Amino acid sequence: MSEGALPKDDAVLRVDDLQKSFGGLAATDHATFAVERGTITGLIGPNGAGKSTLFNLITGFYTPDGGTVEVNGTDVTGMEPYEVADHGLIRTFQTPRKLEGMTVREAMLVGSRNQPGESFLTLLSSPGTVAESESANLAEVEQILADFEIDHLATQPATDISGGQMKLVELARAMLAEPEVLLLDEPVAGVNPTLAKKLKDQIRRLNGQGTTFLLIEHDMEFVMDLADPIVVLDQGHVLTEGTPKGVRNDDRVIDAYLGGGA
Amino acid sequence: MSLFDGPRGALSELTRPEGWVLGVSVAFLLFLLVAMLTGALGPTYFLFLVGLAGMYALLSFGLNAQWGFTGLINFSVAAFFGIGAYGTALMTASGSPIAGGLNPLVGLVVALVVALALALLIGIPTLRLRADYLAIASLGLAEVVRLIVLNERWLTNGSAGLRGIPGFFHGWPVLSTFPEAMPGLRLEVIPGSPVTLKTAFWQASLNVLLVLAFAGVTYFVLRRAHRSPWGRVLRTIRSDEDLARALGKDTYSFKMQSFVLGSLIMALAGVFYAHLNLYVGPGDLDPITTFYAWVAVILGGSGSNRGALFGGVVIVTIREGTRFLNDVALPIDPAPLRLLLIGVVIVAVMRYRPQGILPPQRELIWPSAVDGGGTPETPDSGVRERKGGGDNE
Repeated sequence: MSEGALPKDDAVLRVDDLQKSFGGLAATDHATFAVERGTITGLIGPNGAGKSTLFNLITGFYTPDGGTVEVNGTDVTGMEPYEVADHGLIRTFQTPRKLEGMTVREAMLVGSRNQPGESFLTLLSSPGTVAESESANLAEVEQILADFEIDHLATQPATDISGGQMKLVELARAMLAEPEVLLLDEPVAGVNPTLAKKLKDQIRRLNGQGTTFLLIEHDMEFVMDLADPIVVLDQGHVLTEGTPKGVRNDDRVIDAYLGGGA
Repeated sequence: MSLFDGPRGALSELTRPEGWVLGVSVAFLLFLLVAMLTGALGPTYFLFLVGLAGMYALLSFGLNAQWGFTGLINFSVAAFFGIGAYGTALMTASGSPIAGGLNPLVGLVVALVVALALALLIGIPTLRLRADYLAIASLGLAEVVRLIVLNERWLTNGSAGLRGIPGFFHGWPVLSTFPEAMPGLRLEVIPGSPVTLKTAFWQASLNVLLVLAFAGVTYFVLRRAHRSPWGRVLRTIRSDEDLARALGKDTYSFKMQSFVLGSLIMALAGVFYAHLNLYVGPGDLDPITTFYAWVAVILGGSGSNRGALFGGVVIVTIREGTRFLNDVALPIDPAPLRLLLIGVVIVAVMRYRPQGILPPQRELIWPSAVDGGGTPETPDSGVRERKGGGDNE
């Protein structure tokens, strides 16, 4: 990876001049960047820099005031989140989402795409097809849980596992949706070091298998070790982009974090 | 009773609340049986009560498909119930100001179509918004429908209501004349208090058959839906809609399906009611029906089909059971106690068992995927894997 505004021939996600304001506050202020296929791209910035807003804009949870979002060359600006997901972009949330009354493997099964059993009519007309795909999906769930080394949790209630385990389950579930690019919002926030290391290994492993990652993270050690390149966001716009080393030594980045003029 | 001799294994698998419900239900059935054999409870009236219980069960099923599955707050249960009742009554009743005299099957179809249209009408603007908006809009809808029925005399006959509704099997071969064709039976179990079964009894049996068919099919469909990937998406929406959206689920469409399904079931309850009661009036659209359905679902356990069934039966027991308190010498009129009693029950349930009496207990994965080759292991404690049956009617 080179330094500076990187030329990207094969961008899986391209954000161009994205804007969003809430009242008088420009939460996203002409943000432009791209995520190259096959990378683990980090997105950092001080609190209030607009990282989560940017995620919400990219994934369709917010509608931008201006600018475009492209996934795999398709303009997905203004699309519903499920349509964006259909184009291969999946996200996780900062706080783990709990699915009450489900076991871990039930909660995992929600992630599988194109389930025939999600059509009400198919349920009644051809239960055989549903059973077949459900069996296949369940086997896949068991496989992924085993890959994540959390298969012992499969039949636990999804609400009774630790916060770190929930993060692992979220990541595993997102993988079930077979994303081309996965957006992780603070994957290790509130996770103990052992599990954080496990998460890091998993992200590396999945990246090795071809999934592109864009992750927001406040844990500098974690993100500097894992991500390359790193995009720095400040006050809604992209301050700089570069290697971990380059970013760390960039005076503007230090200013942004320490409050300017330092 | 065969239940106790036979599948002892199935019985031992019941959780304590399930055992309780089963025990109380069996005791209650025995009590009713004794009351009937001694003549204290007329068999025809008993069958009417079973019909009513089935109707409330249907209403609870409908609300459960909306609130229990997806978390949709619908306060217009009475409106959909009323649309069902009026829909079929207007088509079939001799006193109908518009059509009348048509086959009840036509009534059924018309009622369901109108309910579908109404569900879409209220669902399209509100289901994209937060859950509260549906609640508010449906609250208004219930009143609007009730007032239209009360005031549009050219259409609904206004406050006079609709008379002359035929039985549901009117115009069917065999079944339409079945009650008259059956001989009167005279049973004398206890000497001195004979029980006679006449035409009305056979008519009531047909109604019970009908409601069992309606409720049975509904239960079957809902149970399958609940354990399916479709139901899983609904439960995800109920817990966290954003998560479902992030995972690529078109939540608006799923919410609409759930809302329409529930509304159609409520209308089905209305259709049955019209042909059970043979008269419908604007009073049938009073909000109390909505209230009863909510109590039934919360009492039984939101999200649980068995719970909804149980809740429906409890409501009828309280509603109609208090009538018998008149026979017991009480210093006060027990009728106003009905609502109080329901209030006490709901407070007690919320205090001691907030999840309801029969909340969903098993892991809801398509059964054959778990039982069949999918995975070798079965879920351990905490989530129960219990095959059907054991439901108390």
